[in-house]
Amino acid sequence: MSAIDWIVLALTLTLIIAYGLYKGRASKDLDGYFLSNRSVPWYMVLLGIMGTQASAVTFLSAPGQAYTDGMRFVQYYFGLPLVMVVVCISFVPVFHRLKVYTAYEYLEQRFDLKTRTLTSFLFLLQRGLSTGISISAPSIILSSLLGWDLFWTTVVMGGLLIIYTVTGGAKAVAYTQQLQMIIIFGGLTIAGYIVIHRLPKGIGWSEILHIGGKAGKMNIITTGFSEKNGHPHFDWNDRYNLLSGIIGGFFLQLSYFGADQSQVGRYLTARSMTESRLGLLMNGLVKIPMQFMILLLGVMVFAFYGFNKEPLFFNQSQIKLLEHSKYKDSLAVLSGRYDALESQRVVAIRSPDSAGWPYAMVDPTLIDSRVQAITQEKAQYKATVKRWLDDKAVGGDSNDTNYIFLRFVTDYLPKGLVGLLIAVIFLAAWGSISATLNSLASCTICDFHRRFSRKTLTSRQEYRLSQLYTLLWGVFCIAVAQLVYGLGNSLIEAVNVLGSMFYGVILGVFLVAFYRRRVPGTPVFVSALITETAVIVLNVLGKKGIISLSFLWFNLIGAAGVVVLSELLRPLMRSQKR
Amino acid sequence: MDEPEDDKERAPLFGKWSYWYALVIGFLAFCIAVFDYLTKHFS
Repeated sequence: MSAIDWIVLALTLTLIIAYGLYKGRASKDLDGYFLSNRSVPWYMVLLGIMGTQASAVTFLSAPGQAYTDGMRFVQYYFGLPLVMVVVCISFVPVFHRLKVYTAYEYLEQRFDLKTRTLTSFLFLLQRGLSTGISISAPSIILSSLLGWDLFWTTVVMGGLLIIYTVTGGAKAVAYTQQLQMIIIFGGLTIAGYIVIHRLPKGIGWSEILHIGGKAGKMNIITTGFSEKNGHPHFDWNDRYNLLSGIIGGFFLQLSYFGADQSQVGRYLTARSMTESRLGLLMNGLVKIPMQFMILLLGVMVFAFYGFNKEPLFFNQSQIKLLEHSKYKDSLAVLSGRYDALESQRVVAIRSPDSAGWPYAMVDPTLIDSRVQAITQEKAQYKATVKRWLDDKAVGGDSNDTNYIFLRFVTDYLPKGLVGLLIAVIFLAAWGSISATLNSLASCTICDFHRRFSRKTLTSRQEYRLSQLYTLLWGVFCIAVAQLVYGLGNSLIEAVNVLGSMFYGVILGVFLVAFYRRRVPGTPVFVSALITETAVIVLNVLGKKGIISLSFLWFNLIGAAGVVVLSELLRPLMRSQKR
Repeated sequence: MDEPEDDKERAPLFGKWSYWYALVIGFLAFCIAVFDYLTKHFS
């Protein structure tokens, strides 16, 4: 990175911290610290919800996902608008009416103390660990690609935001998320403009979409059905299709927006129920187009590399790893040949003499046989590098998806903008982590400390204690981030697996609370314990290869398990509120 | 489920929340239709 990039990065991060400190002044009690005195307008609720959901990995991973697998990932969000409606109808009115600080507080009023404590504990356990992993994943990507020290990258990624989150609480989180989202969208728009600007003359939107389409990247809607022995066959292992997006996505997003305090805490800060609902419904309207645009950026980068030299492997640190392995001589030969091939391909594809230029990229049949042969050989070289990295003696990481967009940024964006885009990654992480730290602290003090302590605290003491818990959770998450480095790229999946293991059960408890009015606390509590144990056992069996079950099903199994089991146990148990 | 007293509040723009819900679900259907068209057109 150049000096200008460093200045832009430092200024942007300093601006956010200063803005958070300036705007975060609220009344020094729990209402001010965790709910921003319920004073936030709907558009800030919207930006807060979006900023909490979109982490650094979202912006690093999604364009790479479209580059490699196409745009079908957008279907993952199809359940979200439906969830916004359900949350507005069932969850928001109850939470607002009862004026709760945490979602789990409602469970004590509806069931009993033990059910509240259990669900809040499951949330703290899951969120605390997964936030640590969320800090680690982008830190590894940035340090690998930019050669930064991993320890300090992690400290900046998860540490600096603690300054304004501890000081200003929910109000600082809300205001900084507003500014962060503006900078993030601004940065991504500029990046998109530069991709188009750097394409050859005559290549515009239509050509980009055609190039992406011919390469299978415009697979936005997929049904998951295929023809097998003359009959339609549905692939249950296919993660992203219309059905899994609407049905599976619905349960996943409902757990997140209805039963995860990091999101509930955002819409509880609204100045009224109307503002909460408006923020959530607007999220239902803008989330899918936003995700579509981020994925489209990946297709644009794909088209860009059609006319420019594509790296042999985007993650340069893995090439360096091979340079110090038994494959170093073979790599030198292969790299030289790959480089020569790419030069030939780019010249041929950009040459006005090439058949049908620039539409050669649009319609592969127009590409002459020489270019076709080069493309095939290039694919073989890339596959060889991946095979070498998968060799246990090398211990590399053959998954290149998360490095594609950032490599494009560092290689092709002008000075200053590289710093801005790196800042975007940090801000995305900060927006998500700061909201989570605030929610972890609110659950710790409201669901545990205040509930179980025999000592009565003044508002001022509760406020100070809340700040201390926020700080402690921040330190805990950074410590977790430092401990999980060894997992590499599988960190991102680890977050999803961890979430799915607990989300389903927590959602199940809330579904019984809202829709099964005759079920009391004890059957729900016992069902939640049994189901959680079953989900953990299923995960262990899956890891050992005894059963084959995608972690996405844990959400459904957890939720359905609690609902069905609590109904079955109801006649056998009577709840005593404690 | 208990019906909260303030659940019958007037929704902005349309007056009723059910119109907002219809708008959100309708927009999802519109997005799916547009995406389906793009998938078929550019495949």
